[in-house]
Amino acid sequence: MKQIARRTFLSRGAAAGLGFTALQSLLGGAPLGSRGILNPLHHAPKAKRVIFLYQAGGPSHLEIFDPKPKLAEMHGKPMPDSFTKGQQIAQLQGKPLICFGPQFKFQRFGSSGLELSELFPHIGSIADKVTVVRSMWTEQINHDPAHAIMNAGNIVSGRPSMGSWVVYGLGAESANLPGFVVLMSSGAGGQMQPIAARQWSSGFLPGRHQGVKLNSNGDPVLYIRNPKGVSSEAQKNTIGAVNALNRLQYDQLRDPEIQTRIAQYELAFEMQTSVPELVDVSKEPQSVLDAYGAKPGDGSFASNCLLARKLAESGVRFIQLYHRDWDHHAGIPQNMPLKAQEVDRPTAALIRDLEQRGMLDETLVVWGGEFGRTPMSQGGNGRDHHIKGFSFMLAGGGVKRGLVYGATDDLGYAAVENPVSVHDFHATMLHLLGIDHLRFTQKFQGLDARLTNVSGEVVKEILA
Amino acid sequence: MRCRILPLFATSALLLQAAESHISFNRDIRPIMADTCFRCHGPDKSSRMANLRLDLRDEALKPTRRGDIPIVPGDPDKSLIIQRIFSDNSARLMPPANAHKTLTSEQKQKVRQWVQEGAIYEGHWAYQPVRRPDPPTAAGHPIDAFVRAHLATNGFAPSPQADRNTLLRRVHLDLTGLPPSPAELYDYLKDTSPDAYERAVDKLIASDRYAERQAMHWLDAVRYADTCGFHGDNPFPAWPYRDYVLQSIRDNKPFDQFTREQLAGDLLPDATTETRVASAFNRMARTSSEGGLQPTEYLAKYGADRVRTVSGMWMGSTLGCAECHDHKFDPFTARDFYSMKAFFADVKETGLVPDQGPLAWGEQLALPSEQQKSQWDSLERKIAAAKAELRAKSIDLQAWGKTFQQAAREWTVQIPVAAKAKNGTLLKIYGSEPVLSIYETGGSVVSDTKPGNGLVVASGPNPDNETFTLTLVPGLGKWHSIGLEVSSDDRLPGARLARGSDRLVVTEVEVAAKGSRVKPVSARSNVAFWDAGLTPWNVIDGKPDTGWGVATYRSQRTNFLVVDFAVPVETKPGETVTVTIRHDSPIRRAVTGRFRLFLASTPHPQPAMDRSRDLAIPALSADLLQAIAAETPSNAQKEALQTLAETSHPDLEPLWRKLSQMESDFANLRAEIPHVVTTVAAETPTETRILGRGNFMDESGDIVQPAVPAFLGRIALAEGRTRATRLDLANWLVSRENPLTARVYVNRTWRRLFGNGLSKVLEDLGSQGEWPVQQDLLDWLAADFMSDWDMKRLMRTIVLSETYKQSSVATPEMLEKDPENRLLARQSRFRVDAEIIRDVALSVSGLLAVDKFGGPSVRPYQPEGYLAALNFPRRDYSESHGADLYRRGIYSFWQRTFLHPSMAAFDGPSREECTLNRSGSNTPIQSLVLLNDPTYVEAARVFAQSLIAGVGASIERRIELAFRRAANREPSTGEKAILVELYTKELARFRRSPADAKALANVGEAPRIAGNDADLAATVSVTRAILNLHEVITRN
Repeated sequence: MKQIARRTFLSRGAAAGLGFTALQSLLGGAPLGSRGILNPLHHAPKAKRVIFLYQAGGPSHLEIFDPKPKLAEMHGKPMPDSFTKGQQIAQLQGKPLICFGPQFKFQRFGSSGLELSELFPHIGSIADKVTVVRSMWTEQINHDPAHAIMNAGNIVSGRPSMGSWVVYGLGAESANLPGFVVLMSSGAGGQMQPIAARQWSSGFLPGRHQGVKLNSNGDPVLYIRNPKGVSSEAQKNTIGAVNALNRLQYDQLRDPEIQTRIAQYELAFEMQTSVPELVDVSKEPQSVLDAYGAKPGDGSFASNCLLARKLAESGVRFIQLYHRDWDHHAGIPQNMPLKAQEVDRPTAALIRDLEQRGMLDETLVVWGGEFGRTPMSQGGNGRDHHIKGFSFMLAGGGVKRGLVYGATDDLGYAAVENPVSVHDFHATMLHLLGIDHLRFTQKFQGLDARLTNVSGEVVKEILA
Repeated sequence: MRCRILPLFATSALLLQAAESHISFNRDIRPIMADTCFRCHGPDKSSRMANLRLDLRDEALKPTRRGDIPIVPGDPDKSLIIQRIFSDNSARLMPPANAHKTLTSEQKQKVRQWVQEGAIYEGHWAYQPVRRPDPPTAAGHPIDAFVRAHLATNGFAPSPQADRNTLLRRVHLDLTGLPPSPAELYDYLKDTSPDAYERAVDKLIASDRYAERQAMHWLDAVRYADTCGFHGDNPFPAWPYRDYVLQSIRDNKPFDQFTREQLAGDLLPDATTETRVASAFNRMARTSSEGGLQPTEYLAKYGADRVRTVSGMWMGSTLGCAECHDHKFDPFTARDFYSMKAFFADVKETGLVPDQGPLAWGEQLALPSEQQKSQWDSLERKIAAAKAELRAKSIDLQAWGKTFQQAAREWTVQIPVAAKAKNGTLLKIYGSEPVLSIYETGGSVVSDTKPGNGLVVASGPNPDNETFTLTLVPGLGKWHSIGLEVSSDDRLPGARLARGSDRLVVTEVEVAAKGSRVKPVSARSNVAFWDAGLTPWNVIDGKPDTGWGVATYRSQRTNFLVVDFAVPVETKPGETVTVTIRHDSPIRRAVTGRFRLFLASTPHPQPAMDRSRDLAIPALSADLLQAIAAETPSNAQKEALQTLAETSHPDLEPLWRKLSQMESDFANLRAEIPHVVTTVAAETPTETRILGRGNFMDESGDIVQPAVPAFLGRIALAEGRTRATRLDLANWLVSRENPLTARVYVNRTWRRLFGNGLSKVLEDLGSQGEWPVQQDLLDWLAADFMSDWDMKRLMRTIVLSETYKQSSVATPEMLEKDPENRLLARQSRFRVDAEIIRDVALSVSGLLAVDKFGGPSVRPYQPEGYLAALNFPRRDYSESHGADLYRRGIYSFWQRTFLHPSMAAFDGPSREECTLNRSGSNTPIQSLVLLNDPTYVEAARVFAQSLIAGVGASIERRIELAFRRAANREPSTGEKAILVELYTKELARFRRSPADAKALANVGEAPRIAGNDADLAATVSVTRAILNLHEVITRN
């Protein structure tokens, strides 16, 4: 409230219209941002922000992070009943369950000797900077509800997403950018499951904590461009008149909502300039573009990774990059290399770039999807959805380097050593941000609702 | 941003100042205990600690195992709970540190005083019977009597009545969602009779606009939407149910009947089409058609959704919390949850609800108009007659079958020599050049690169409608039919056949040879599913708005259309045949992406191709071949041959052509008839078990029968009945003994008229909700409402009170002491809801189309690519045209996973889940919407046009009229000066930039009136500013 009042005062102090110069100089000084509800934080944070490289569709842990020689031996043989009896199954319901060996070789990387699939040499090159969790599990076996759990910790619609929670708790670092940004890219394989806007919904938290989707094609943010025939000057004049009139009302009525409205118009005008500039990666040096494998304007995962770094630098708190096309019910051998080509280099480039800029320590990078894939084959060359065991990769932001945590059984079916639930992951992420997930609650329908619902424990062993 | 975070107790502290000195359990103690004690010492036995329960007096007075007594009435010092909450020892302190809850010293003192006063428990207020309290004074309006008595004890006085402009605007916005027109305002101001306001109210309540405004909230609660909400989020037939709600509210259906019809319209003894439409309520839950889902899991989800919805809407209860465990704060058990769920166990449904094909969306109800009904009957009769006539023909089936089998049915692929597109699409003809295709087969995506062999590929500009003209040089031949093969490609959206739309629609196929049109005689295709009315005959009916095509995505890779010629076309070498393929559908961009053309050298070729041999696929199954060869065919074989003959025998051709056309008409008619999902009760309801921790795989729990929550009573079944039904549930909800329903409903109604409910948490009147600021008023309203369940009378009662009519201008003292206006010493100011924001802009500009009431959902302008993250199918968006582009927001297409972005920006709920309250956020994205969404820019343009048309050249006069329309008042001199300055500046600027002026002056689809671009554009700047004003989107 105080900040708004100050800014309004400055604007009003300017003779005509909005006082953009004053506002800009103010913004150019110390970053303003909005304060979060957690003031102070529950404990000293390790990370200030999160970049979540969300591999939507359910990437196969068995071809990326989780080597299973035993599964290779069992290739083509029936999956032992002891693993699958009484367990949930998706499209393989009622079908014979046959072991499907890993389709790519694994090799050791870095001094930590992290075993990774040969398809991901770039991630291999940063093996000593990451923690791989091989014991993730979730409870929802279909995409839509599994996304809901991964994003909001709950399958009932109307719960806030993790990005909204984080921005609600920590506030935004930037005054003229949204605190929670969502980017999206599509793969070339065409196995793209739908995504719902509820995945970045603020649920029952205030609407301003909603994730804002930035588009790499068309308008970077919906309605960010002036209407046809309205120049920047015309827009400024119109907004100037709107706020001058709103101010007359405020003087009469002292309704604080009017004051907020005035500030929002100023911010909207700011965003109209700042957002398109920010989204434009074409001015990055060629060497940086090459490191990521990004071509400006191509809307690729690589471009989005580069953009994520820019957004992080500009103070966006939670950046979520969806890369779709991991739903490999068929064609693991053909499709995994395609995906590796799309994500391997940019993932590594982002982590390295953050490190070179001294930002990795304060940025938690997460790589993973809503679930994993079965050790059993589907249709002879694909894998079905799988919830009992899959892998996540974490880097920076207070996470150990060069660690493998947890394990699935010999066939990569179930997380058996140090299983990490989605709520455990959320608890750990919040912990790194300085938040105790048990104390970070909001009253909703009579409950102290929290991101971790009714469970979740911080995975202390992976904390640096 | 309702941006102040107030300490939770600010309001209650304020109310306490005036409270009598003794402590009330319900008002003072229960909220404290619910927040800090009941989690471990409440109803849920699974989380109960120390075997101690504080929510029941008997339990709290029993000694613990160690002999301590938790509560000794009248003796706080001997009471364990007092010792523990006041303890200095952190190990003994309650609540414990790990609960992250602390009691303030004020709260501790209250608990102490309560024990001192005898620890009197009261049942939770909302679960006590509703009694009708007498208003504190007999004179005046009862609402005012309650509110003023309460104000007096708090040291406040009511505000004066709002000025008449404001009052009329307020009551218009509240009741109809539209501001008064200047004429309505003028008439009202002129009318000084004492009942002028009352008459204005009655007129508003009687209007269709009233229903459109009020239905919104009901639709939020029932989670009405146009799409299924999970995964592919495809459109499902729901809008007739929305119209049922609209009509019921307009006709002021009693609330008890309204309730019964929705929960159990199918079970009513006198069930009608209307009540069966109402029962679609039970089908509004999100459903999934995601491959690989486990049906039992989703049936559990659908059932739980219904319990959450019913308990929230009617009971103001968070019974949903008891899905996994007994409720932690209210006396609901998990058994109660599953017993409620059991009421819906008879709803006939599947776990996977198909979103395409003949079984899509399960049980549906057809709603033909009278005319459609008679067309339907007549077509049905004619088709039956034609079938009988065919059947009566005697044919040597086997002999004919042999000829049919042997007849060469050749298609000759045509590589066009020229391909033109009328509206700019680029058409590339591939002969022997290779072309990449990506398509789905068996659930996965594959690609190949093969010679095109006549494939024509559209690319480049993507106009809404398009006409292709192809020139063929078939060589020497006699051609009976033309074939159009449309190939799918995974890079295309929707059905993967058209370039932009979710569907392919070819509206006409015309063939010309030797300078004249070739007369078509029939059209056939291999697309069997005609539910969307895209039948083959449509391409030869000469009507530009009907067509053949595909409306749902399918794995069929090629879709084949045949047009048969009345007289074969003969061509000599070098002679050309011209083929025109029109796409003039109102669905934009339903234009073919990839296709080939064929000509048939034999009559009646099949609408499918064996491309390896350029032959028609004769569609003779192994069974048919056996039937033809059989020495003595069985009856079944005879029947199969007969059916084949009835669709292919040359002698029967005139007959089956006629039949085929009628069947095509029938499919078209069916597509035009509205349908709605409906509830059909299964004869045997599915078994309902208590699922431990909500786990659908756990089959160890007890089987339960339908029952209402045990502590609220039970449904008595008449002799001979063994199972309670949804109708019993509905009757129980609206019985006068039910303490919740009326309270919940009047509380929600109050929220709409004052910005807050009398109890603030609309969805929870339980112990974690809010003790109502004025329970006597809430109860009086509830009792009054229950007397006749008259929704309109309730509304009328409230808006006629002086409390409602007060000014909303707050004094500094009110702002400080009662910022949220819980005492009602004034009216409230709040932003109007998402739909209303747009309705207001359209209304003041004159664009709003209100001629129609109800009807299919419509599509406002929406940014390109907004739905890009959807799949199965991928889709594009086509806005509506004409009047449908300007209908009220309640008719906007509600896509659950991607609600229209302007609607979402203003807190429109996704309706994935029952929503009983909307928040009123205030964000920069909202500013961007009002500034830049074409809906608002166009509204500003048309608004400006009408000002110019209305008052001519004077900008001052225009501004005055604009204010009268948008804000229902005269602008001040200062306001006028700001806008005149804006106009002047902009006029000069637009004169310098005529291209800008032209662009702004022509934005949108609405007709432009003649005039000067720069003047209009500068006036648009003014109207844009006005439509962006806080005041215009605020109800005050």
